[in-house]
Amino acid sequence: MSRAVALWIALVVVLAPDGVAAQDARQIVQEVQKRSNVRSQRYEGVLQVFNAKGKVSDKRWVLERIGSYGSSKMILRFTVPAEVKGVALLVVNHTDRASDQWMWTPSIERDRRIAFQDRSQRFFGTDFSFEDLEERDVDQFDYSILGDETIDGESCWKIQSVPRQAKSSQYTRSIVWVRKATYTFAQLDSYIKEQVVRRLDYRDMANVQGVWTARRLEMSDLRTGSRTRLTLEQLQYNVPMKDEDFTLQALRRQS
Amino acid sequence: MMLLRLISWPYFRKHIVRSLLTIAGIVLGVAVFVGMHTANQGVLFAFNSTVDRIAGKTELQVTAGETGFDEAVLESVQSASTVRVAVPVIEATVDSQIAGQGNLLVLGTDMTGDRSLRDYDLEDADEAIIDDPLVFLAQPDSIMLAKEFAEKNDLAVNDTVTLGTVLGPRAFTVRGIMRSSGLTSAFGGNLAIMDIYAAQHMFGRGRTFDRIDLATRDGASIEKAQEELRQLLGPGFQIDAPAGRGRQFEAMTASYSIMINISSLFALFIGMFIIYNSFAIAVTQRRSEIGILRALGATGGQVRGLFLLESAVTGLIGSLGGVLLGLVMARGIAASIGGVMKDVYGVAQRADEVATDPALLALSLIIGIGTSLVAAFIPARQAARVDPVQALQKGKYQVLSVGESRLRALAAAAFVITSILCLTAASSRVAFYVGYALAILAALLLGPLLAQWLGRALRPVLKWMRPVEGALAADSLIQTPRRTSASVAALMLSLALVTAFAGMARASYDSILDWTTTTLNPDLFVSPSPEIVSRTLRFPGPMGETLAALPGIARVQKVRNARILFNGAPVMIVAVEIGSVAEMAPSPPIEGDATEMYRLAAAGEGVMISDNLAKLHGLHAGQVLTIPAPHGLISLPIVGVVLDYSDQQGSILVDRTVYERYWRDDSINLFRVYLTPDASPADAKAAILQRFASERQVFVFTNRELRDYILRITDQWFGLTTVQIAVAVFVAILGIVNTLTVSIIDRRRELGVLKAVGGLRGQIRRTIWMEAVSIGTLGLILGFALGALNLYYILQIVEHDIAGMRLEYVFPVTTMVALVPTILAAAFVASLWPAESAVRGSLVEALEYE
Repeated sequence: MSRAVALWIALVVVLAPDGVAAQDARQIVQEVQKRSNVRSQRYEGVLQVFNAKGKVSDKRWVLERIGSYGSSKMILRFTVPAEVKGVALLVVNHTDRASDQWMWTPSIERDRRIAFQDRSQRFFGTDFSFEDLEERDVDQFDYSILGDETIDGESCWKIQSVPRQAKSSQYTRSIVWVRKATYTFAQLDSYIKEQVVRRLDYRDMANVQGVWTARRLEMSDLRTGSRTRLTLEQLQYNVPMKDEDFTLQALRRQS
Repeated sequence: MMLLRLISWPYFRKHIVRSLLTIAGIVLGVAVFVGMHTANQGVLFAFNSTVDRIAGKTELQVTAGETGFDEAVLESVQSASTVRVAVPVIEATVDSQIAGQGNLLVLGTDMTGDRSLRDYDLEDADEAIIDDPLVFLAQPDSIMLAKEFAEKNDLAVNDTVTLGTVLGPRAFTVRGIMRSSGLTSAFGGNLAIMDIYAAQHMFGRGRTFDRIDLATRDGASIEKAQEELRQLLGPGFQIDAPAGRGRQFEAMTASYSIMINISSLFALFIGMFIIYNSFAIAVTQRRSEIGILRALGATGGQVRGLFLLESAVTGLIGSLGGVLLGLVMARGIAASIGGVMKDVYGVAQRADEVATDPALLALSLIIGIGTSLVAAFIPARQAARVDPVQALQKGKYQVLSVGESRLRALAAAAFVITSILCLTAASSRVAFYVGYALAILAALLLGPLLAQWLGRALRPVLKWMRPVEGALAADSLIQTPRRTSASVAALMLSLALVTAFAGMARASYDSILDWTTTTLNPDLFVSPSPEIVSRTLRFPGPMGETLAALPGIARVQKVRNARILFNGAPVMIVAVEIGSVAEMAPSPPIEGDATEMYRLAAAGEGVMISDNLAKLHGLHAGQVLTIPAPHGLISLPIVGVVLDYSDQQGSILVDRTVYERYWRDDSINLFRVYLTPDASPADAKAAILQRFASERQVFVFTNRELRDYILRITDQWFGLTTVQIAVAVFVAILGIVNTLTVSIIDRRRELGVLKAVGGLRGQIRRTIWMEAVSIGTLGLILGFALGALNLYYILQIVEHDIAGMRLEYVFPVTTMVALVPTILAAAFVASLWPAESAVRGSLVEALEYE
């Protein structure tokens, strides 16, 4: 299963379950992607990192995204705290390979490419990794249904995804729980070898402009005991946006 | 062992002063050897240790000499199938701006990936910074300090520290303090980490990286990764393990090591002669003792063994003392070498830890004992050959037999002939060094004979000065050539060393002065660093145009120089506007036609090379030089060989257009500024400083200041040599004291008789003084003669093996003239105590002696 599907930025969406007869794992995941498909989206994110000792650090950003799932582009700009204001990240997803990512630092007016080798690193101190920001096409994984389980009282399919190219991901495999009622993700566990290292919970579901969306995503690093909560505010779908605003030149220009 | 206790120990106790002086000879010889080598190793160790500690888990490093390379190379390296992680690095050594703290090594890294190779274990920091590099990356004034540096300077998180950057002194905020570890102890703990892109900005590196550190994928061998990267990047890049940098540093400092080795060898040689002297005298003095031993049944072998054992014990004690003294000296010498490395080679490092190398210490003991044994071998052999009957008779045995003199003369002649033959085999360096060694040996073999002849020649002069004392002094020299000659030999060797080094220094100064006069004729030099040889900071290329637009400035030449690897050796590439140089400071070529040379080089159709590079690499005009560069292999003909002392390892001069094309780097190390005829250097300097005051750090040197700077660093290079010379002279003086002490003891009866027949104290004193000054005179004459020869060899070594510099042979008359009163005064002072001892001794005891 694509971690991209699980991605918090993808803002898992669900359309009405009517008429869907997704019986195998791949079809279920495809259906999740299909129901979350929007032309564009924009939101203000509140990021709270709780370390193992319980200390919280806050950041805010504005995220804009354009394009269909797996080949979308997004720019994320930090707005708070003042020390990081203007720092931005451009992610360009590709259906057939890992995404390209660049970071922009306004104080020195420099962009830097986030190398593929660094995608397993933590995303600026959060419990997400750079890889977790990617959207990956359904064809990059093999899926299998492990059974049915209940999460928070809701019946879910338990689906395992394994990357087809082992070196393309830091994770050996992932297990995702998909709510049967809304075709939305409820939980995603990511494994390195046999150890589950990260858990992403999708909470506070709401129907925004016809798209079922988790408005609170919580990523836990099960090795360190820390967790990161992302709260989506002022979420809008299908906002008018231009493709040319999602390039490296635009990243430099707009800051 | 029993013989040692029963026979040697009482003799040692009876002649304790002389024995200690003998030991002192070895102590100093070994101390110089240990001190020099430990310091040299310490400096290399410090460099390698910094490289190792910074390398972390790095398995390979991609470099293009010192020039750095375009950022885009990183993606190519990261795309290699054998590479697991590759991270860019910039290293800059900057002024910490804290009194007494010197430089700080700033490592610019990409924090997002670098933790895969290096562990930044933070001890103290804002919680956010520990886990979140975002603030660190977002603020270019962010810096992390090694705990060692922070503690030394009482710095805490959120404090600021000011560092010299290309933009001028800038305040950096301490965002984290790294826990003590291997990494933080690099560069003596004076280490800081900052974001690589901020480092590019602060140190004027444009969009280049200094190097890429990488680790290979599991299952991919280092060799396979090297091969893949070589294919991927081309020949302009070096892909080596971190230790490779140490090897380059070692190659760069090889010339210094050669000089150190020569000095150490001389110091040991001088020490050897002091031991030889002492043992030769001891054998003479102990003839009756040896006779008794032989009469009691001791074999010649046992007697020889006894003396050799004594010498081994002497050597051991002296070596142990030498090792201890050497280790004490090493720290000071290491600081001096470190200064030379920084100021002459532009490679900063800190030799705070002068580690003791057990192998070196063991070698020192072996050398000390070995030297002692070699020195005592001839006296021991003579002792073994003593006839018991003759030995029990009293008499003098210091004379050289006719047969021995002839044998020495023959051996010396054979050595001289072989040495000359070796010189004719110019192509073989081994033959050259064998010839050098044989020439020195021949001089040493001839030493006693020459000392005797010179003593005879000196006798009338001494007698004319003081009929009684002069004659006695001269006779003492003539009749005891073995005793005298060892001291004279020690002095001769010291002076030969002094002559050669002084001559080399003089010739180097003259050549460098000539070069600066011919080539370095701009009115002003504008540098981003107070140390012109430092290449850490650079100016952006377009600054040249801003500079040229200032009032009073007629012309600006942009200079970019950096060390690259050529044929495996670090050499300097100097990129200048050749056309402009041809107009303003044409240098007559040693090879090639001046007009064609400048025309072709300016058009980018050829390169000029320095004379020393040509010498060291056997290159000539007309040959095609292939230089690996990051953006291709440069194959250009050598259009001329010129005198250029930009670098000891040699330099390649190319037009800036060639450099910019193949390195894609327009940064500048130095601007050469020519003023209009009516402009004053002081006003222009002030105008430049004012223009850039708010933008960047600028240092402006006038022509006079630059010349003084060059001569200062030349002085620094020879600074250690001066210390070596001082030690050599000191050892030689020690030899004179030794000889005179022995002379007094040896002549106690003679002096006693002199006193008994009415010799005045003053006469005895003057006799000894005159003898001492005569030894000094003999040493001076022979030392200058051997020095003249030694200077020739040293200049050859400098030309062919050290710096490729064609130095003119000029005997250093001034230094030598200054040495005459120094040595004579030293000899006189050395004789004061022995003279007093002689006049104050008991007459009865003296007459009973022997």
